[in-house]
Amino acid sequence: MAAANDEEILEGFLCPICKADLKSASQLTSHFESLHQEEQDVLKSLKDIFGKAKKVILNADDTQLKETFDRALKFNSQEYYPYEEQTVGVSRSTTDYFKAVRSARLERFATETNKLLIRLDKLVCSMPSDPNLRKQHEQEVVPWLDGTSVKLCPNCAKTFSLTRRKHHCRLCGSILCHDCSVFLDLNVARTIVDPSAPQTSQEHEVNEKNGLRLCEHCYKLVELRKQVQENRNAKTVLVTAYEQMRGLMDQAQPAVAMYEKMCQSLFDGETTYNLSDVNAMRGRIGKLAEGIGLLSKQIAALPVEPNMRQAKVQEHIRQAAAHYIKEELLSLRKLPTEAQIEEVRRERYERAQKQIQLERQRVELEREWRSEAESSGSRSNGATHDDDNPLLEQMNIIRQYIKDARKELRFEEVAILEKNLKELKKEYQLQMLSYKS
Amino acid sequence: MNVVQAVKMYITKMTEESGPGMKVILMDKETTSIVSMVFSQSEILQKEVYLFERIDSHAKWDNLKHMKCIVFVRPTSENIALLSRELRCPKYGVYFIYFSNVVSKADIKTLAECDEQETVREVQEVFADYLAVDRHLFSFNIIGCLHGRSWNQQHLQRCSQGLLALLLSLKRRPVIRYEAGSEVSARLADRVRELVRREAVLMDNNIPFNGDVPPPQLLILDRRDDPVTPLLSQWTYQAMVHELLTINNNRVSLAHVPDVHKDFKEVVLSAEQDEFYAKNLYSNFGEIGQTMKSLMDEFQKKAKSHQKVESIADMKNFVETYPLFKKMSGTVTKHITVVGELSSCVARRHLMEVSELEQELVCHSDHGKQQQRLKAMLANESLRAEDVTRLVALYGLRYEKHAGNVLPALVDTLRKRAPDCAALPVLLLEYGGAHARQSDLFGLQDADKITKRLFRGLSGVENIYTQHTPLLKDTLEDLIKGKLRENLYPICGGDDLSAGRRPQDVIVFIVGGATYEESLCVRQINQANPGVRVVLGGTNIHNSTSFLEEVKSAMQGVHRTHTRHIRNI
Repeated sequence: MAAANDEEILEGFLCPICKADLKSASQLTSHFESLHQEEQDVLKSLKDIFGKAKKVILNADDTQLKETFDRALKFNSQEYYPYEEQTVGVSRSTTDYFKAVRSARLERFATETNKLLIRLDKLVCSMPSDPNLRKQHEQEVVPWLDGTSVKLCPNCAKTFSLTRRKHHCRLCGSILCHDCSVFLDLNVARTIVDPSAPQTSQEHEVNEKNGLRLCEHCYKLVELRKQVQENRNAKTVLVTAYEQMRGLMDQAQPAVAMYEKMCQSLFDGETTYNLSDVNAMRGRIGKLAEGIGLLSKQIAALPVEPNMRQAKVQEHIRQAAAHYIKEELLSLRKLPTEAQIEEVRRERYERAQKQIQLERQRVELEREWRSEAESSGSRSNGATHDDDNPLLEQMNIIRQYIKDARKELRFEEVAILEKNLKELKKEYQLQMLSYKS
Repeated sequence: MNVVQAVKMYITKMTEESGPGMKVILMDKETTSIVSMVFSQSEILQKEVYLFERIDSHAKWDNLKHMKCIVFVRPTSENIALLSRELRCPKYGVYFIYFSNVVSKADIKTLAECDEQETVREVQEVFADYLAVDRHLFSFNIIGCLHGRSWNQQHLQRCSQGLLALLLSLKRRPVIRYEAGSEVSARLADRVRELVRREAVLMDNNIPFNGDVPPPQLLILDRRDDPVTPLLSQWTYQAMVHELLTINNNRVSLAHVPDVHKDFKEVVLSAEQDEFYAKNLYSNFGEIGQTMKSLMDEFQKKAKSHQKVESIADMKNFVETYPLFKKMSGTVTKHITVVGELSSCVARRHLMEVSELEQELVCHSDHGKQQQRLKAMLANESLRAEDVTRLVALYGLRYEKHAGNVLPALVDTLRKRAPDCAALPVLLLEYGGAHARQSDLFGLQDADKITKRLFRGLSGVENIYTQHTPLLKDTLEDLIKGKLRENLYPICGGDDLSAGRRPQDVIVFIVGGATYEESLCVRQINQANPGVRVVLGGTNIHNSTSFLEEVKSAMQGVHRTHTRHIRNI
């Protein structure tokens, strides 16, 4: 992995003068020094003309590379632009107006569509298979228009004749010719009235036998309803996998935040978390990253029809996930080593000790001063050094809790419990002190 | 007053309001540019937007009902028609529609009537209707906003709407001032005021009125008042790249460079995504060379030490530092390529010599000597005709009223050398000659400026290539001090400035285009005056080439009135 990356980096070592790709930095510099002596002079004279070129990065011999780069490349916008709070600009919603117009228009459609659907339901639910009975059934549900006075097809305005027979729309009962009628597959009709019915998706020609003859208007309304219905239920493999992936990402977000917090606490020398805790957390984030990576690969590999945008979507999801993993989950801070932690903790401990020492001295002084003033004090000695002290008991219980929480990687709880434990310890110490005095 | 941030916030708002789920964004040509100026593709992908489509693409697309569609378009009649068609046969599950400017009720009604499948969840106006080039710089990407010295109506409409959007996005309710001598500035100022008046309710409801600070000022200027700045060679990184290689929506094409690495055929130069660029955008050419060289040295030093990676710990360390390593080498190699191309341009076109004379012409007065040098350069065949033309044009502008003016002879010589270019200096004189300017561009009359020049002459020049400061600098400094004269820069609609003369927030808009040199000057003003925030905009961000296009368009069909003595054009 490292070697491969190495090559990738080296790819772009272009000489600024002749633009040859020189494969490595050392080669580039030697090339530059040997071949472009004059150009260097040109560059130098250029700089001279421009006068005081700033010596920003010249004194960077022994410092770390990272620092140099940071100094040269990191852009601190605060330096350049004063901080200014900015809120999102003005916007105006016209959604309400839009919806008002839309619903006024759709209401008319809706009542009509509902009427059609009730009829459709009656038609398909108890449809006899016998053609004659079926016709009778259909006429019972929807009264057919009397066609005697109709000479022309209302849709295409052609005269009815022996070859151009009169037909009826099964939903509204109006008259139309064969060319103007549309057929709705009976199976499809069943799924429209009852979405739970099994979907049969085999392609076959729909004719008078296995379909319902409809006029264009009714067909459009029913079709519209069908599409709205389908939209509601559209949930593919892709969507499920994608939602899973996003779910993992949602889990990763707080985990990373927690990790940062724990890491910081280690560096500060606090004893709230152990190194092993933080490592476990790191492991968990790694697991999540792995899961996200796996799901995104799955998504990218889902079969798609050629030349469809679906493929692009899946590829982009994969890209985004890879980027997310790289930037958010794998660029975690490096953990300190045990030795470093010891070091920090010792320093902290020493500091605390010093503090305590000072405190004690102050108390000593105070006491001396007080005892001089009072000369004698009533000594009520109630040293109850029993193990039944409720504070101790509570502390033990909390210790047990912490252990359990650690095991289950619930580090927020660990932090709270540790805090409690600390408070208890303090309380206990105070108690002891008060007993002594 | 950060325009990049303003646009970014709008786009983030759009992606958030649609909730979780896979998203596609449907845009038109202009909004595509608006978005691409502030976000890179990988940033947008992180916002769950996985597909970018153009509303005017006529390709037959498959249905993606599981996706949410964010529509972000300008409210033009074509877009309304295209969107109606889309809503009649929706390809996506639900739609969130955002217009980049004010949209009429009639148009909303049209759309609502097409939404038979009830796929639309949200319809809003957001005001990201300009290209945010830099934090303090915006543009409308219009070349040729004037036609025959007056506004092209379509462009006037675009600019006034764009400025209204800018005010709403920054939440500023300004006093509008314009250049008195320029009819086009007055027209635009009037139009913007009218639009602001129409949206008074929206402004009053959303922009808190603060009586304690002086009101912001929107100052509308005319490029014709300073035709010199866009003609000069530039030496700061951003301006230089634009002058020599042309920056188009933050992108620079290097495809013409021989042997260019395949990754660098087109490079993105965006201060928001490229820290090296952000840091060096205003450095001069020499400084950048210096920075790069030391980085290369450092890199090589480290690469050497890395050749002996022995222990596993070493390797781990390498991998840990790897992302930085790669990122660093990525942007720096890109800039090395760009700077390499710049320096070869400078050498090939002898731009140092050209630039020196340019600066001499605009900053000093020594007619005899300059005229001789100019003649010598005209005779020098190794100089590019375009560069010589710029010099002649500068001479024409500078010595227009000089007794010993030899412009006709110079134009004659130029015609022999480059017949296509000979008309340009004359055209420029008609466009931005003394008759068209209200300011003292070369500082010839103003006693104050003459002493300033003398002082500059005495104290010596720090850098002979960057002596020129744009006129905008003086104008802005006067404005901030409250000394900008009201007879020369009147207030639109007769409002008075009693509320406060020293504005803290200033928006300057230049009809005919701004330049990166002026952008640098605005940044310097912002830095030098804490508490003052200036935003600069223009119909376009010009380099000399695009500026000459602008001039040609503006002067189309105009009869020459001030340069009739120059014949044979």
